[in-house]
Amino acid sequence: MRYGMVIDLKKCMGCQTCSTACKLANNLPAGIWWNRVLTVGGEQVDTARGSYPNAELSHLPVACQHCENPACVKACPVGATYKDADTGIVRQDYDKCIGCRMCMSACPYNGVRSFNWEEPKYAVDFSVGEVESPAHQKHVVEKCTLCVGRVAKGQKPKCVEACAGRARYFGDFDDPDSEVSQLVRAREHMRILPEMGTDPSVYYLV
Amino acid sequence: MTENTRAASPSKASAAKFGGRGLNVAIAVAAAVTVAGIALWGMQLAGGMMQTGMRNLDSWGLYITSFMFFVGLSAGGLIISSVPKAFGMKGFGGISKVAVWTSICCTVLAIGFVVVDLGQPVRLWELFAYSNLSSPLMWDIIVLSTYLILSIVYLWATLRAEAGKVSATALRVISVIALVCAVLVHSVTAWIFGLQQSHEFWHTALLAPWFVSSALVCGVALVLVVVIALRRAGYMQLDQENVVKMAKMLGAFVCIDLYFFGCDLLTSAFPGGEGAEVAAMLVTGPLAPFFWTEVVGCALAAVVCFTPRLRTSGFIVAASLLAIAGIFCKRVQLLVGGFQLPNLDYAGALTQHAVTDASGTLANAYQGMVYWPTALEFGVALGIVGLGALLLCLGFKYLPLKPVEGSR
Repeated sequence: MRYGMVIDLKKCMGCQTCSTACKLANNLPAGIWWNRVLTVGGEQVDTARGSYPNAELSHLPVACQHCENPACVKACPVGATYKDADTGIVRQDYDKCIGCRMCMSACPYNGVRSFNWEEPKYAVDFSVGEVESPAHQKHVVEKCTLCVGRVAKGQKPKCVEACAGRARYFGDFDDPDSEVSQLVRAREHMRILPEMGTDPSVYYLV
Repeated sequence: MTENTRAASPSKASAAKFGGRGLNVAIAVAAAVTVAGIALWGMQLAGGMMQTGMRNLDSWGLYITSFMFFVGLSAGGLIISSVPKAFGMKGFGGISKVAVWTSICCTVLAIGFVVVDLGQPVRLWELFAYSNLSSPLMWDIIVLSTYLILSIVYLWATLRAEAGKVSATALRVISVIALVCAVLVHSVTAWIFGLQQSHEFWHTALLAPWFVSSALVCGVALVLVVVIALRRAGYMQLDQENVVKMAKMLGAFVCIDLYFFGCDLLTSAFPGGEGAEVAAMLVTGPLAPFFWTEVVGCALAAVVCFTPRLRTSGFIVAASLLAIAGIFCKRVQLLVGGFQLPNLDYAGALTQHAVTDASGTLANAYQGMVYWPTALEFGVALGIVGLGALLLCLGFKYLPLKPVEGSR
């Protein structure tokens, strides 16, 4: 199996609902975002580049790309980051991570891996989100898990479910009849930084 | 030609004085600095690495810079003392043991810098239990431990050979192995960076040989500083002829290193594109002060090393220090330069965890150097350097490192 995602950039409006849903579902500490909607435009979020009538503004949601050839997995000295053979999801074992941050510098997709630089802090004093998401630890690397717990229960990742524009699709790229495989066959698409040779499992419809 | 072969003639009288109060004071100061460093490291672990300048987009900093630097610095001693033995050439006049001891101290320092960089140092044992052999960092840990053990064995074998307990052949075999290991250690350290396709500046096949040449530059320079200082302090005698020989080597290594840098810059910049950004970042961009310090410092060092009239002890020490500073600047360029050019530089949620300067926009954070260490990092780094100084002084005090008659 090769679980992955298709994101329709024509539908994405940059509302950040996926980022927020991810943050809630995974009980992410203050300052940590596993999923970010980046602005392809000006220097500030949601601003355009250029001026009328040639201004340009679009959005690019970026989280772990769950690569088929992940640079992080090769780089980790203790195997704390690994590719799950059954699902194709790139996972991170918090208990094993020694905090060397080799994976962070190996990953070409800047910022999808985040390190807990301090004891996790939360806005509320109870935990929110999915019961099965593991507790966050200080000084370890973490990232998008493709909501592995929800997927195991047959649900879709939270960002896919929450997307207000229904721009996100989840499925198995190894199955030619899956929705994601069909979308990639039918529509023009791109992947981020394909020249890095990581073979990411997130496709963007353009 | 006025070769300064008689620049400094050590006096027998001062030799007796070495190891007195001065050395004890040095040991005490180094020990105090080490203890302070350990306390600061405790603070870093307890309060969190948020207190450092490192963040998600610049996830390594002063510690890994220093790690690279001290791995390089450790090269010279071992290579200077093992090359003559391995190839059966005339050596550098009994400095072998002192040189190897500086190597050992620098290797310990390098390992120390990796340890303080870890978020979870208590999980260090996992490196040996769950070794992932596809990771260049794992290769480096294996090679670096081997290198440390080998350096100690080599020092021990040298001492035993002088006592007639180890044959010259055996010592020669050990020195060949040590030499191979020394070259490997620098190559593998380079591969931690060079095998990553995600950083334009790092991803070059030249990086490994370049690390070897930089290691030779700062390693030989360090040995020169140490032996000239020890001769001055009366710890050992050394003919100026040997110092000059090493200075010439230093000059040659500096030229090779600069040549590699030139090759790399040209190859990056010529096609334009992203490589040109690397060159611009170094030559005129945020890293220009480090770039020019390195280039000018190394060039001056080469001039001193190649001009017979300038090869006095003072100038040679100054040239060596310039070369060492130059190579440190190179390490800074490499580390920060790797993070300075992001692959995805689009605006997004900018939190305190994202980048060192998260006060403005992402573009702002990349205006100057994307990373700058905090006082805590400088303190911890100083503590580790103190540990190295402590080891070095303890070695001079308690280990039989002085040259003996007839040794190479």
